[in-house]
Amino acid sequence: MKTIMLTVNGEAYELAVAPNDMLLDVIRDKLDLTGAKKGCDTGACGACTVIMDGEPILSCMTLAVRCHGREITTIEGLAPRGELHPLQQAAIDHNAVQCGFCTPGWLLSAKALLDGNPHPSQEEVRTAIAGNLCRCTGYKKIEDAISAVAGRNQGVVKGKNRD
Amino acid sequence: MSEACKTAFGEGPKAQIIAGGTDILPALKYRLKTPGILIDISSVPDLDTITYSEQEGLTVGALVTLRRLAAHKDVREKYPLLTQAALSVGSAQLQAMGTIGGNLCQDACCIYYNLPSVSRQGLDPCFKLGGGRCHAVQGSKICHATYSGDMAPALLALRACVTIADGTGENTIPLNELYSGRGEAPHVLEPGRILKGIQVPPPFHNVGIYVKMRIRKSIDYPLLGVAVNLLPNGKDGALKDILVGLTGVEKSPLLITPPDEIKDTYELEKQTEIMAQAARSKAHPIANTSGYSPRYRREMVSVYVRQGVLQALEIAAGRG
Ligand SMILES: Cc1cc2nc3c(=O)[nH]c(=O)nc-3n(C[C@H](O)[C@H](O)[C@H](O)COP(=O)(O)OP(=O)(O)OC[C@H]3O[C@@H](n4cnc5c(N)ncnc54)[C@H](O)[C@@H]3O)c2cc1C
Ligand code: SF4
Ligand code: FES
Ligand code: FES
Repeated sequence: MKTIMLTVNGEAYELAVAPNDMLLDVIRDKLDLTGAKKGCDTGACGACTVIMDGEPILSCMTLAVRCHGREITTIEGLAPRGELHPLQQAAIDHNAVQCGFCTPGWLLSAKALLDGNPHPSQEEVRTAIAGNLCRCTGYKKIEDAISAVAGRNQGVVKGKNRD
Repeated sequence: MSEACKTAFGEGPKAQIIAGGTDILPALKYRLKTPGILIDISSVPDLDTITYSEQEGLTVGALVTLRRLAAHKDVREKYPLLTQAALSVGSAQLQAMGTIGGNLCQDACCIYYNLPSVSRQGLDPCFKLGGGRCHAVQGSKICHATYSGDMAPALLALRACVTIADGTGENTIPLNELYSGRGEAPHVLEPGRILKGIQVPPPFHNVGIYVKMRIRKSIDYPLLGVAVNLLPNGKDGALKDILVGLTGVEKSPLLITPPDEIKDTYELEKQTEIMAQAARSKAHPIANTSGYSPRYRREMVSVYVRQGVLQALEIAAGRG
């Protein structure tokens, strides 16, 4: 076991982790933050996406011992006081959630995108969430939700259709 | 760096290097590899820098992530081929985690190999797992696992070199010498040798393009990747120079240099056809990927080379 310091959703934690513990298992099992989901466990679905030091990463592919001193945002960090983040509200308004398994992942991919680029094009939105598989929605409503927030950022609502 | 090299050398095949981890961790989870030790090189100093100068060209440290490489101003402006290839890898998350060094050193793929251990039950171990047969090519005496990295074809077409450190010194070799042509172990680095960085010569007036074939537009590895780097002659629309890099169709990435007969013609169409056929003849895809038959993928090599040349020339014309 090795002790690491981790900041998750603004709170500092000191954690004892085994060398083969994955960040996803640590945040779900040790911190009880079960928003991040385990889909494929091998990097191919995006359900485990979290934001680490500003970048969207796959927590199923990240060894926890390598995260000492890092800052992590999980989906729970988007609505710290129960007040929904604009992206979460837009997901509801656009019916972009069905079973919900992929939702935490794409919301964080979208947040990482908008934090760095508040006015993304439709193509940039699609590229940002292309690593988040959704078996239910067909992506259109997810794109619309993100584009609505992006549009609000620039004062125009863009709702272009998919090709 | 010398500490990392010495530890790796001392531990031999028991140890594996880990950079971004996106290639090696699935192999560990599937129990395809069972190293006793992982050597984390992320704290080795100065491996995460990008520098560019007009005289020297581009130098990229092995630990630079694909996301950073793709977004770097000089890379976007002077080497758009690299940005395109980097943005075609996996997904945004994999690009944020995966490094350029790990991408070049990634293992070769095969649908009979890249399987969780439970799905491999019932399959005798193949050559790549230390066994004595190949499931993809019945009767074969060798492993045909397919090299499927996206950065190597682009860097080959840009005449890149790589610097290898061994703990006592370093040496620089052309990128194609990094590859062994063996499906079991696609690169030649022995334990104790670490890829330090990549050098790409100045771009001059070349134009590059990367075209990738895959089933889905994201996440998937290339079933064929073609990088074209050409120099128009500036007069009649023909080519002055061209290099093509291929991935997904052999045990190594391939560099296709213009055959001698290309010198006999100054017509764009003939030049393109010569390159397209040269590339096609070197590609030997086999049935060890999902989607598209080997025959189709081989045919598509020439189609993609033609398409790449046309697209690159369009960009060149746009530049004026
Ligand atoms: C779902 C999925 C999809 C993917 N799709 C693509 C794709 O479309 N295109 C593509 O090219 N790749 C793809 N990959 C593979 C991988 O994400 C990339 O190749 C990535 O760039 C690997 O970099 P890394 O730093 O994560 O490598 P690591 O996993 O850290 O290392 C890969 C290998 O290289 C060795 N290594 C790493 N750095 C060095 C070094 N400096 N010196 C010597 N050896 C070193 C390691 O020992 C290991 O064997 C995909 C992976 C997944 C899981
Ligand atoms: S090509 Fe053959 S030997 Fe190589 S990994 Fe696939 S099945 Fe195994
Ligand atoms: S669970 Fe991490 S990518 Fe699928
Ligand atoms: S809402 Fe069910 S997987 Fe996306």
